Amino acid sequence: MFRRGFDRVSVELFLLRRRMATWVLLTVWTLLGLMFGYIVPYVTYRGDDGRPNMLEAMLPEQITQTLLDGFPFFGGAIALILGVLAVGSELGWDTLKTLFTQRPGRGVVFTAKMAALAIMLVPFVVSLFAFGAIAGVVIARLEGVDIIWPDTTTVIQGMLAGWLVLAVWALVGVLLAVATRGTSLAIGFGILYTLVIEGLISALAGSVNQLEPIVDPFLRANTYSLVRPLGGAGSGTGDSAATDGPGAFSGPYVDELQALVVLMVYMVMFIGVSAWLLRKRDVA
Amino acid sequence: MEDRVNKRSGSSPGRYMIETDQLTKWYGDIVAVDHLDLRVRQGEVYGFLGANGAGKTTTLRMLLGLIQPTSGRASVLGAKPGTEESLMGVGSMIETPAFYPHLSGRHNLMMLAKYTSTPLKRIDQVLAQVDLSKRADDAFQTYSLGMKQRLGVAAALLKDPVLLVLDEPTNGLDPAGMADMRVLIRKLGSGDRTVLISSHLMTEIEQICDRVCVIAGGSLVAEGTVDELRRKDRLLIRVDQIEDARRIVAGLVGEQSVAVSSGVLQVTASNQGEIEPAWLNARLVAQGISVQELRWDRASLESVFLDLTSGQLRQGKRGQSVIYANGQHQESREVAHV
Repeated sequence: MFRRGFDRVSVELFLLRRRMATWVLLTVWTLLGLMFGYIVPYVTYRGDDGRPNMLEAMLPEQITQTLLDGFPFFGGAIALILGVLAVGSELGWDTLKTLFTQRPGRGVVFTAKMAALAIMLVPFVVSLFAFGAIAGVVIARLEGVDIIWPDTTTVIQGMLAGWLVLAVWALVGVLLAVATRGTSLAIGFGILYTLVIEGLISALAGSVNQLEPIVDPFLRANTYSLVRPLGGAGSGTGDSAATDGPGAFSGPYVDELQALVVLMVYMVMFIGVSAWLLRKRDVA
Repeated sequence: MEDRVNKRSGSSPGRYMIETDQLTKWYGDIVAVDHLDLRVRQGEVYGFLGANGAGKTTTLRMLLGLIQPTSGRASVLGAKPGTEESLMGVGSMIETPAFYPHLSGRHNLMMLAKYTSTPLKRIDQVLAQVDLSKRADDAFQTYSLGMKQRLGVAAALLKDPVLLVLDEPTNGLDPAGMADMRVLIRKLGSGDRTVLISSHLMTEIEQICDRVCVIAGGSLVAEGTVDELRRKDRLLIRVDQIEDARRIVAGLVGEQSVAVSSGVLQVTASNQGEIEPAWLNARLVAQGISVQELRWDRASLESVFLDLTSGQLRQGKRGQSVIYANGQHQESREVAHV
């Protein structure tokens, strides 16, 4: 039983690993994280507009705070695309038909795919933290500052929170892919939703108080609220994408425990609806 | 074989490998499959013949659990289609083979093998069986259509299934490829394995299948062996006084069995033993008719199929070897299983 499950997850992981799109997304994600967390701030810091407190955010000690800003912002979009591709491509290639006519049922196939997707998000988190650490060390060396590492608990908490944020968005992608039976519409609608609908309404909520109840259940509000206590979402000492960048989010925030519960509920809901649709619908 | 069937699929001896009862599928207000009753016996190569859009693929998809019937019931290896009990003994290829384009043929089969807990050594065996070993490590997206079809068959064979379901397996193949595929399918169905093959190619079905069913408009219109379906033989008689000859022959064999077409007298028989040509010839000559040519013309499966699906023979008399339904579903239930 366990062996079968392991085999099925391993082949799904193999499938994700052998896809060029997975590595392109990982590369883009890492580059964006470095760009917004280190490269742009460092160039600004070295330029005429640089402020002394900007350096602190780029040093290894602040790695969790600095990197977590990117997870709810562009991390969400990247994870959404990964989620869409993990399931939507199967509908486009018609390979679900091939899998569904093998021995295991639809539920088993979907479970294996979700498990593999969850595992595949780990390298996304680890990669960003690893390259972030390297960038921090390089900047510390360039600036002649002592290298101080954050405590392990903070880093692990940050990585777990980051993984959860990516996982929720990836599941949005899975749901959209299953609902639209493909990739193009799912990605288009997903990006539209995250940037335009949630982005615009969240931005308006800053000035229109009546919109706050609408924003509270948004993924954006909850994911930013989850990482904020760990130092993300502009709570750090330096400028960040969360407050100044194109994905800026300035609230309203919710309690971090509430955010955690809401995100977990979303995960269960997205998985449940996707599995139900996949199970009930005809594979034409 | 029975042991194999029982062990692997749970079906018991004497039961049909595939059985449908009034199977129906509607898409909106269009009926794709209309109260279809199918019985596929163990060990036979069963042909599923129909024009494009006749409902063949929809039926096969329902038999594999890919789509749900609107009404009716189906049983595959004694179990509900799409369940693990049903799928474990079935290998299938529906429409175009669908595989991961960026993976090699071997890796695609490896994925399926791991999903079904099939020993990986089977991969080389089935690749050799479909003559794809040399290109097994190339990406699927680089394969020709024929190679894709062969990989589809290899995937269907991977589990060493007791029942093979192949939908248009020779689609896109060149003549040599089609011939190879026919030989392969015949070989696969030569033992105890049951093969259900759908096609709109008459020669394919004629050469491969033990029994054939014809569907049109989603309904079963005829079922039987190829010989039984073709049994309407015609005796062609070329004479100089055709109207006199028609009258004489009609008096001998019955008005309904005689027709004139393109200046030739056609005498239809259920089988060749029914009419004695020498006797007819003697009677015509005795009446002063000069017989220039007299020969048997066996109906091809193609002409039978065209007759069946165009409705020309659907008003054919009951009691003949093949009883044709008129396409209406009330009457399609009366199709004879000859």
